[in-house]
Amino acid sequence: MSAKGGAQGGEDRVPRLAPGCDPTVLSLSPAEGYLLSRIDGMTSCKTLQQIGGLPVEEVDRYIDGWVKQGVILFDDDPASPAHHGPGAVPGADSFSSQIDPSLDLTVAIQRKVLEFETGLDRPYHEILGVAVDADVKAIKKAYFALSKQFHPDRYFRRNLGPFAERLERCFKKILEAYELLSDPATRAEVQRELAASEAPAKAGAAPSSLAARKRLSRLGRQLKVFEGRKRKAKTFFESGMSAFRAERWLEAAGSVRLAIAFDPGNQAYKEAFSDVQRKAHEERAKVLIKQGDGALEMRNYREAAGLLEEALQFRPFDAELNIRAARLQWQAVGDLRKAKEFAAAACEIDPTNAAHRRTLGQIFKAAGLKSNARRELEAALKLDPKDAEASVELKSL
Amino acid sequence: MNHVIGIDLGTTNSCVAIIENGQPSVIPNAGGYKTTPSMFAITQDGKRLVGHLAKRQAITNSKDTVFATKRLIGRRFDAPEVQKSIDFSPFQIVRGPNDDPRIEIAGKTFTCPEISALILREMKRVVEEYLGEHVHDAVITVPAYFNDAQRQCTKDAGKIAGLEVLRIINEPTAAALAYGFNKHNDEKVAIYDLGGGTFDVSILEMSDGVVEVLATAGNTFLGGEDFDHRIVAHLLEIFQQSEGIDLKGDTMALQRLKDAAEKAKCDLSSRETTEINLPFIASDASGPRHLSQELTRETLESLVGDVVRGTLKTVEQCLSDADLTVGAIEQIILVGGQTRMPLVQAAVTEFFGKRPHKGVNPDEVVAIGAAIQGESLVSENDNLLLLDVTPLSLGIATFGGHFAKLIERNTTVPARKSHLFTTTRDNQSAVKIRVLQGESETASENDLLGEFVLGGIRPSRKGEPEIDVSFDIDANGIVSVFARDTATGKEQSITVNATGTLSSEEIQHIIEENELYEVQLKQPNEVERKK
Repeated sequence: MSAKGGAQGGEDRVPRLAPGCDPTVLSLSPAEGYLLSRIDGMTSCKTLQQIGGLPVEEVDRYIDGWVKQGVILFDDDPASPAHHGPGAVPGADSFSSQIDPSLDLTVAIQRKVLEFETGLDRPYHEILGVAVDADVKAIKKAYFALSKQFHPDRYFRRNLGPFAERLERCFKKILEAYELLSDPATRAEVQRELAASEAPAKAGAAPSSLAARKRLSRLGRQLKVFEGRKRKAKTFFESGMSAFRAERWLEAAGSVRLAIAFDPGNQAYKEAFSDVQRKAHEERAKVLIKQGDGALEMRNYREAAGLLEEALQFRPFDAELNIRAARLQWQAVGDLRKAKEFAAAACEIDPTNAAHRRTLGQIFKAAGLKSNARRELEAALKLDPKDAEASVELKSL
Repeated sequence: MNHVIGIDLGTTNSCVAIIENGQPSVIPNAGGYKTTPSMFAITQDGKRLVGHLAKRQAITNSKDTVFATKRLIGRRFDAPEVQKSIDFSPFQIVRGPNDDPRIEIAGKTFTCPEISALILREMKRVVEEYLGEHVHDAVITVPAYFNDAQRQCTKDAGKIAGLEVLRIINEPTAAALAYGFNKHNDEKVAIYDLGGGTFDVSILEMSDGVVEVLATAGNTFLGGEDFDHRIVAHLLEIFQQSEGIDLKGDTMALQRLKDAAEKAKCDLSSRETTEINLPFIASDASGPRHLSQELTRETLESLVGDVVRGTLKTVEQCLSDADLTVGAIEQIILVGGQTRMPLVQAAVTEFFGKRPHKGVNPDEVVAIGAAIQGESLVSENDNLLLLDVTPLSLGIATFGGHFAKLIERNTTVPARKSHLFTTTRDNQSAVKIRVLQGESETASENDLLGEFVLGGIRPSRKGEPEIDVSFDIDANGIVSVFARDTATGKEQSITVNATGTLSSEEIQHIIEENELYEVQLKQPNEVERKK
């Protein structure tokens, strides 16, 4: 497939998940996960390339990889003898093995049942074959027409084999769709769910309203996939919270981050994440500072400076840490610009600290910015007239 | 192809129909009547009589003549409806070993399904004589508000009668099928079914061969018999006042009064007044006493006016269940002999603001509908589909004696619904799932259909385990309940068998006994044929 397949006009080909493959067990990047969740046996490669704002080559690469891994497959692979033109029912041929001519049900009806059954995860209005905004009358009409085809009573006392259960499954789903869509209250709920499942896709390019509607239905098909993802998210979140309770902050943050990746719409996860993240940051900063101290002991100043700088990302409002980082940058690394930045931050956080002012002044002096140095050293002396070092520095200017 | 017979097993009369050459027709019995009294009797010399023969000798043999068993079937002996029947029945009703009411006549005890089976067998025989061939398959109708136990007992009765019951369907639904037969317009129809012993209302929507039941409501203990009781009570009171004699303890007098009341009631549907004459109804020291009383339509209407008004409340409830207003109903169909009463027709007309449909025979329409449904099930090219509903809500008993409904009444079948439940105590290792049917929010006020225990729940705090309980009703109305512990995947399930019904051994035993009896009965016929 991929770029090569695309060049051969294979963009119209439709990948689907290989039977028995559970995508939730794969380790995927958010972009990969997003793309895989869109592969539903109905969306063509071309559409997959267009949605989600991923580069075409990247989409092709992922798809190629999954085909090789056996995660997804194409039913209309040119290598196989059966080939459908565009618009053919995807997966029609995979039914052949399930069709049993010895049953008391025509092959045509068996095929129809199998086809319908594969689409039971579609949004309710698609199951009934009506527009999203169809009125109750149209919904009822569709329900009656489908009931005539799928109600088990139509095939009363016949030898249906496994089709008895299939028919019942189909009818129950048709009934569910009818019940939910014919009642304005439940219908509104169904539509809210559809819209909510659309939210993660909003990251993509702004679509036209038609494209948006198409995506709405496509995403509806994915409701089930999303449900699987939501369940997965819940387990991640739960293990994250138990790690949090056990004060394993980093592990907690990792798990909760995963939970959010699997269920980006969940506000509760996000709220919890800010707490978890704060703790995790503190923890991370502590580890980095400790490592920095170790490096200092080894007189590895350059490494220590880097570690403290990293720690600052997680503890940006720690004046002491800023000043330590400033000193290291000034005295060990010689990066006066960074040194000045950290020292200035420390002064901003703790404006009444004379030592911080003096350090900033010394850094200015080292950089040759005399007037700035004088201003800061004077300020330091004002804060602490007994600061000998500051007065020495000021005199030397 | 074998015929499927449609049987309207009524409280007072039964009726049977088949589809012949694509047209439904009611089969008359040997006497030429299209309906057969749902009565059974054993005479002094041990002869068993069913139908008109049983009815004809009811007055002289009231103690050994059974009627209206439909009011008892599938109920428990202690149920108020059964106790009320005991007061009015000239025959003996006793407590059976399963706490079910049983009937004792001529020194023999019968279960209610057995009595119903005798009537069903008679209906089967009517068709077999007409067709000259055996029939096996049947669709039997029951009141829409019959619960699972009552339906199961009716099915058992069919089995005892040697029938394969393809489906038990609701009487008003059957009526709608008959009305909608070969009609192709879209319509919303209300069925007002006031029969001998039960009252049902159903609202259905028809569209090009699909008949969808939108809602159904009713009362299984309200019908023409209650009208008769009111008249009897009225006559008893008058007799007591004028003659000073209480006839309540006199079973033969009661049976004569009941007969006369029914006849007077029917008369008053076409006339303004009627005469009730019962000579020699009683006697005391001063000689024989006669009852001679004029009854006017006005008096009758004052006696039963509240009952008729009460039915309209049920109609209102049904409309609201269907989420419809009176104006949305395009056609009203009256079913059941009691709807011949002018007061009933007037009340319905006033309520709906339009006249009921006149094109169906209220006595025959249910059997015809049953035959239509039977035919549509077995025929391959039929264009008719019935989307039937559950008449009563199903659910489980929850903490504090509450009833959690999982399948609401009027849910189309087949259907599956599930819900999560949890434990109520810390470290609770098992939950008991009690499956109930009914409308009350208090668990104990509903019918218990069955129960089972799901064990092996991991010890945890209360409220933490997730028990997924699913209800599954197939197209035949058979209920299965599954409970699964989502943590362990452990599962338990039952297919609900109504309580208080006969075991399959008991049914087999009755069938064998009846077979012995049937040989006796058929002998004279065979002799006749040989001649």
